[in-house]
Amino acid sequence: MRQKDFDQFWTGIENDLISVVPEPELRELPIRSKPQFTVYGLWLSSVKGYRIFAYYSVPRGEGPFPVIYHLPNYGSVVHIPPFEERCKYICVALCHRGQRLSDEPFAAAYPGLLTLGIEAANSYIYRDIAGDCLSVVDFLKGREEVDTGRICLLGGELALWTAARRSEAAALHYTPALHYNSLKRAALTSNYPLEEFNDHLRGPASSQIYVEKTLSYFEPVHHAPKVQMPTMLVEDSEGFCDDLVQAFAGSVDRVPFQHSSYRDGVRQANWIAEKLNHDQPILPAHWC
Amino acid sequence: MPKPNLSAHPTEVVKPDDFDKFWQEIMEEVDSIPLNASIELDPLRSSEEVEVFEVKYDSLDGLRIAGWYCLPRERTKPLPARVFYPGYISEPTLPKSHAAQGYATFGAAPRGKLRSNSAFNPGYPGLLTHNINDRNQYGYKGFYIDAVRVIDVLLEQPEVDSDRIGIQGSSQGGALTLVVTALRQQVRAASAGAPYLAGVVDAFKLTRTYPYEEINDYLGIHPEHRSAIANTWNYYDCFNFAERIQCPIIVYIGLQDDVCPPETAYPLMEKIGTSNKKLYEYEGHGHDANHHEHDHVVDAFFDTQLKPARS
Repeated sequence: MRQKDFDQFWTGIENDLISVVPEPELRELPIRSKPQFTVYGLWLSSVKGYRIFAYYSVPRGEGPFPVIYHLPNYGSVVHIPPFEERCKYICVALCHRGQRLSDEPFAAAYPGLLTLGIEAANSYIYRDIAGDCLSVVDFLKGREEVDTGRICLLGGELALWTAARRSEAAALHYTPALHYNSLKRAALTSNYPLEEFNDHLRGPASSQIYVEKTLSYFEPVHHAPKVQMPTMLVEDSEGFCDDLVQAFAGSVDRVPFQHSSYRDGVRQANWIAEKLNHDQPILPAHWC
Repeated sequence: MPKPNLSAHPTEVVKPDDFDKFWQEIMEEVDSIPLNASIELDPLRSSEEVEVFEVKYDSLDGLRIAGWYCLPRERTKPLPARVFYPGYISEPTLPKSHAAQGYATFGAAPRGKLRSNSAFNPGYPGLLTHNINDRNQYGYKGFYIDAVRVIDVLLEQPEVDSDRIGIQGSSQGGALTLVVTALRQQVRAASAGAPYLAGVVDAFKLTRTYPYEEINDYLGIHPEHRSAIANTWNYYDCFNFAERIQCPIIVYIGLQDDVCPPETAYPLMEKIGTSNKKLYEYEGHGHDANHHEHDHVVDAFFDTQLKPARS
């Protein structure tokens, strides 16, 4: 159920971001740079003044360049974006608060992060993590080397929440993850990370009503109506996203997850190149 | 252009004359270190079917290493055990669902992984090239040993049948599976997916994908260290452990794997000591190695080899 104060909640995150001076700092990481691109470490301040880190890779040559913004998956480590991608795009890979390289002073636990502060929406860790994701787009908008009309967001719900609030992005490549229909899906498994919800609900102090309410602020179906950009929706299985696909404001290419990093990867690279009006992507040698 | 023959790629890995001596000395040191294992129930992660414990034990260099240990609540007879080794960037598994199938299960967290990283934390990227010029100080030395000592922890547990221990993992987890199977003959069955750290000096020339790309990054600023890196890796490469593997083993790969090049799997299979070995090759798959479908093969393999009560 969409909460009455849903918009107010998300406006609160935006207001928190506005109140922080981002103070971005870029430092080259020479060991990661190559003749084709320069890799930087990017530090900037996000919600509550928390200092977050991202990899920021810029192709050599004359810009501006299109951007692929990798929103992080669930886990402590964020990889540097693929070599082949970095040759043609500005690539950003955010480490949200709690993940390695953004783990001072808060180091996330795995398992643990998924239910941290879940008793209320305002204390849920993903409120501030969403702010981290938005702050990187705001950084990109001010960069000369960025073609601000050609930014693709790539990831799970973190990418979706960002797309709903940063309409200047040109495309969204979205694979529903842990915040889509969370409790219904958790009830069907004992595998982590979804099992974290079950662990929490078994606990003595938990209340399913409060957890459901918190998660409703993050439920994709309530964010999709604000997503107007072209979207690729990668569906875990047939019918998995029937309710969600109708909710998007913009066009949606609905495709099945193929359980193949090769086939899914080639499709993703081609789709992003098309939506960002870029030439054919460079693919890893083993994919050609 | 015709595709290269993946199975005919030559390897530059060399087995040093003192490879066995190098590891014998390490293992003698390791065996002199008491485990001092602690096993503490974690009520939050336990469920109606499975008890979850947080494990800690001592390893090389005085490090305290963590792990998750899961037991089915209903257990009367000694249990077969399955160990799950983690990938390079993945978090250690908390294998509750397999415990519910009648196994004692262990999710390993070698040094540098969360909960084992207070004294050693080279990061990712970082681990692959940490002290890579010195085989005695190399980061993977302790990392391998932390994985080996999981078997020692299991052998201390009265509920575990020491004749029915199986181990598994994919990518780096596959590499650890190979190394541990070679160094602990108590392992009775093994499954390695998309094995990493096999043919390393070949692999980093075949791909630009991390983690192997860490070596290319390193050589970009230290080109003079190329031979030192090859020398270190000859002591750590799974190829050189493989002939010691004597238990039944299955290996699976994706033929479009850009992370762990499939070319490296073929010489590995040749070198594995046991004749009870099988390679599954999956066309159309990358580093996932078709685990989505192949996991059933792995489960059936362990059920056959280890015979849990509920299989």
